[in-house]
Amino acid sequence: MKLSLNWIKDYVKLPADLDLNRLSYDLTMSTVEVEGAHDLGKDFDGIIVGLIKDVQPHPNADKLRVCSVDIGGEVKEIVCGGSNLEIGQKVVVACPGSFVRWHGEGDLVEIKNAKLRGVPSFGMICASVEIGLADLFPANEEHEIMDVTSLDCAPGTPVADALGLRDIILEIDNKSMTNRPDLWGHYGIARELAALYDLPLEPIEKYIPEDVDKLDIRIADTERCPRYIGARIEGVSVKEAPYEMRMRLWKVGLRPINALVDITNYVMMAVGQPTHAFDSDNILDYIEVRRANEGEKLNLLNDKDLELTSDDLVIADAKEAVALAGVMGGSKDSVLDTTSKVILEVANFESRGIRRTALRYDNRTEASSRYEKAIDPERCDLALSLSMKLFKELYPEMKVTAFNDCYERKLECAEIDVDLDWLDRRLGMRIPKEVVINKLGALGFKVEYSETAMHVTVPTWRSTGDVSIKADIMEEVARMYGYENFQPTPITTSFEGAINQLEIDIIRKVKEYLAFSCNMREIFTYPWMNEEFVKALIPDTSKILTLATPPSAEERFIKSTLLPNICKAIVKNEHNFDEFAIFEESLVFSDEAYTSNYPNEKLPKQERHIGLAFAGSADDFGTLFATAKGYLAEMPSYTHMEGFTFKRCDKPSWADDTAWYNIYIGDEKIGDMGLLSKKTAMACGIKVLTAVLCELNIDAFKPFRSRTNKFVKLPEFPRNEYDLSMLVDSMVKWEDIKECALTAKKSDGCYLIDVDFIDEYTGKQVPEGKKSVTIRLTLGSDEKTLTSAEVEASANIVIKKLSAEKSEKNPYAVAAEIRTK
Amino acid sequence: MKDKLNSLLREGTEKIQAAKTESELDEVKGALIGKQGVLTEIMKEMPKLDAALRPEMGKLVNNVKTLLTEQIASKKEELVLKAGAVPEDFDYTRPGIAPKIGGLHPITQMRYDLDDAFRSMGFEIFQGPEITSEYYAFDNLNFPPNHPARESMDTYWLEGHDSGTASDKLCLRPHLTGDSVRYMQTHKPPFRFVYPGRVYRNETTDARHERAFFQYEALIVDKEFTYTAGKVMIKSILSKVFGKDVPVRMRAGFFPFVEPGFEIDMGCLVCGGKGCSVCKHVGWIEIMPGGTPHPNVLKSAGLDPDEYTGFYVNIGLDRLVMMRYGVDDVRLFHSTDLRFLGQFR
Repeated sequence: MKLSLNWIKDYVKLPADLDLNRLSYDLTMSTVEVEGAHDLGKDFDGIIVGLIKDVQPHPNADKLRVCSVDIGGEVKEIVCGGSNLEIGQKVVVACPGSFVRWHGEGDLVEIKNAKLRGVPSFGMICASVEIGLADLFPANEEHEIMDVTSLDCAPGTPVADALGLRDIILEIDNKSMTNRPDLWGHYGIARELAALYDLPLEPIEKYIPEDVDKLDIRIADTERCPRYIGARIEGVSVKEAPYEMRMRLWKVGLRPINALVDITNYVMMAVGQPTHAFDSDNILDYIEVRRANEGEKLNLLNDKDLELTSDDLVIADAKEAVALAGVMGGSKDSVLDTTSKVILEVANFESRGIRRTALRYDNRTEASSRYEKAIDPERCDLALSLSMKLFKELYPEMKVTAFNDCYERKLECAEIDVDLDWLDRRLGMRIPKEVVINKLGALGFKVEYSETAMHVTVPTWRSTGDVSIKADIMEEVARMYGYENFQPTPITTSFEGAINQLEIDIIRKVKEYLAFSCNMREIFTYPWMNEEFVKALIPDTSKILTLATPPSAEERFIKSTLLPNICKAIVKNEHNFDEFAIFEESLVFSDEAYTSNYPNEKLPKQERHIGLAFAGSADDFGTLFATAKGYLAEMPSYTHMEGFTFKRCDKPSWADDTAWYNIYIGDEKIGDMGLLSKKTAMACGIKVLTAVLCELNIDAFKPFRSRTNKFVKLPEFPRNEYDLSMLVDSMVKWEDIKECALTAKKSDGCYLIDVDFIDEYTGKQVPEGKKSVTIRLTLGSDEKTLTSAEVEASANIVIKKLSAEKSEKNPYAVAAEIRTK
Repeated sequence: MKDKLNSLLREGTEKIQAAKTESELDEVKGALIGKQGVLTEIMKEMPKLDAALRPEMGKLVNNVKTLLTEQIASKKEELVLKAGAVPEDFDYTRPGIAPKIGGLHPITQMRYDLDDAFRSMGFEIFQGPEITSEYYAFDNLNFPPNHPARESMDTYWLEGHDSGTASDKLCLRPHLTGDSVRYMQTHKPPFRFVYPGRVYRNETTDARHERAFFQYEALIVDKEFTYTAGKVMIKSILSKVFGKDVPVRMRAGFFPFVEPGFEIDMGCLVCGGKGCSVCKHVGWIEIMPGGTPHPNVLKSAGLDPDEYTGFYVNIGLDRLVMMRYGVDDVRLFHSTDLRFLGQFR
């Protein structure tokens, strides 16, 4: 919201020497955020009123003329293309060094002494649009320059002075006063300043209605319309409002329209109460404030055609709805050029209904945004008084011929008792009684002290929800005393014991392990999933929760697994990177297992998952799979939790038929991993890369209470490594080979300690249906150094085990053909 | 023979010094003092010598042999050391090889920085459910029944759970504050905890507005706690996170869960408070709302608001990260674009 400081000064006489920065700072600290204080006059530096003494044709251009202009004590020649130049005319001259906006467009441009088509020109004669005044001085045609002949001022007078533009425009952040309906106009802010600086607030003289006919007003819904004042005013006409009023509206960002509309806007900007003036000739019989009929039609002032619902409040006559209450007038009742009688509406509407209606038709207005904040019905009096004063000023011959104030639901002032001891403890100090009474008094609060408490009566304009409990009073006291005047106090709370939150810490450990040990990137995705990916990855969608008003129809599904969004991320990145690994940690939800962990609610199943994806070239699927498996297998030991086991019980629907695992902790399945099947990848639109996915339930992780490293004594005698290459059937798995090799026992004279996988190879030298596998035996003894004969003998025992044909006696045999040793 | 020995020593020395590799040196060694070497040949002449001259000649032969052997040994060491050295043309200016390291999301990084700071001041970390009932989203947080935030324009209600009582209605949590009530209901005061997490609002998105964003709330509840102690707390946390002393100011602000409420500003780190485009030339940047927990919030947690008070802040991590790194579009955080995420270490 924009505010004019001059306008504020109508209501509170701010000291002339008050520093503007100080005012902005004080308002910001205590009341509302002042985002900027714009010195309007400065925009017009170097722009002055000039008097045209002579107009001559330009020797080299038909459309340009050379004017001799008195700019105060001297006459300068200025080249100008204005269509309405005349001798004796007062014009606006932008002198060299000033800034204008060329034809009202683009950035500000500095005016310099220049030659135009060979003729020197001192600055420029301006059109209103070039100095930002088009709304205030609209041009009738394109090349018209701004004519200020009517101004009573000498040539050379700065335009800012001549036009009353020496003012400061305060920009208030609307968000900072959503709870303060009283501040949405100059008068409200003036009241705050009066309280801050201990100055009197000028009263607005109260209008006393004359004894006239009673206007027929019927309020059908007093909940939604607590008060409606209507006054029929005759003897008015559509004309231009006086300059002062137009200028003020313009300064705060409103476009002057005509005197009748401008009065209502002026009142709204002054006291924050919207009002409405409509042509009374178009109103049949009476005014009724009622709910709209379902489907009732209304054409708004801005020519929007609405089909109303029964939740909308309308102003209607005997026949039909004529205005959308609190939002906008209808075209039927609008002020026309022929209007001579108006009905002035000063009404109070319930906030929530106005908001619903404005949003329903996407038609928020200055009026609706004020009503939304919950204005108190008493404010109608201020608005009515100011309106009547303005009508009399603008239309001295006007007459109020009918009047009615239907005040059905009065607002009670809030009354609050505040225990002084409580207040002192909360504030950390005692604020003197006189300060409290004075400051709160200036804000309209009535404060009565007793020995131990104070009784506060809240003014109506703060009683619509804003101030209702003693903490609110504490806030008023503290902000008026000045938050910065309280001394800092140390934090005194003391706690027992160190913080130990294993379940929280394990999440971070896992994420840091993946990021910093496994070269993976963390991603964030939305909590909803796209339908395309849901279809590709989730066979049964019956347990998926959905949004009532999703971001889009395809995104109604709430995350039940992390994989759809992870696949979407693969699609997003596969054109920029040949390989990448990503993970996401997030809650997932499903429409089952409702639990009640907290009073008064039952919530659906919510589990914290971590999802991983390793994406790379399709040829590398084996490496991708091994990487995923290795990173997962090592995760528990690096993050200190119970280990995972890899089992094959239940193939995930999205996984390749062969390359997958279920992941278990003990007997509990905690997740899956697998190569994304070609079919699923295609359904997801993953075109270039192949991916191994994994999803684990973090809630099922079992973190250890401390590190679980184990120390093993270093071997006293040397170990021997012994590599073996062999050919086996291609279906034989590494784990089969390992298991078989480990059946070689010490009792057989074999000193085998461990077996490791070295390499697997298929290719030209390897026969069809076979593969070559290289393993490494670790041989050794804790009692002695093995002789080469013992090493050889041990290896031979292992070789014999591996070479045997599978049989009842040799259930683990793999029928290996040993190639090299 | 004496001459021959002398010339052997002279020529031998030259050959040894001329050897460029170990194998060359071995060849030279063989040719000089090996079994078929020159020295052996010369010694064959020994029997022909006058017996009187033999002892002297014998000494000379041994001398020559010792000298050559020593020279070979020292040359050999020289060659070994030389062979072990890096060639002079090795280009030590080539770029280093960076470790392959992934990374946490920039918001997670900031979150963990804050976790560390708050933990160091004795705060626990709490995480609540992201699907919540209306009861915890609004009712017990002092949102009046007609508050606009409750409408579907602002909150993501769940289909089939969007009507009925506040306990029946479910939504994606629109803020974290409900979690503070959950924590307080299940723990014993005094409290000192943080509860970070993502929250969701039904909004139209643009460079400054998102539907999902990350908030970080902290709450202290105790019998005596003034707002000025809260200011001390904020200052301590920010100074730790940003690594330097950060000026903090608290000014009037309004939020439903607090009374009194504050907007908390921190001195602009870019210009040091002098005013720049980042802080819109005011020298301060609004970073969080905060205040004393509203009595109704304390009541819903089962506490007597006359007995207990406290301090609450809500830090918008998206904004803080944007400001810290100059990120100009909030939507990048949920973009999953690795070209963006890869920039944060």
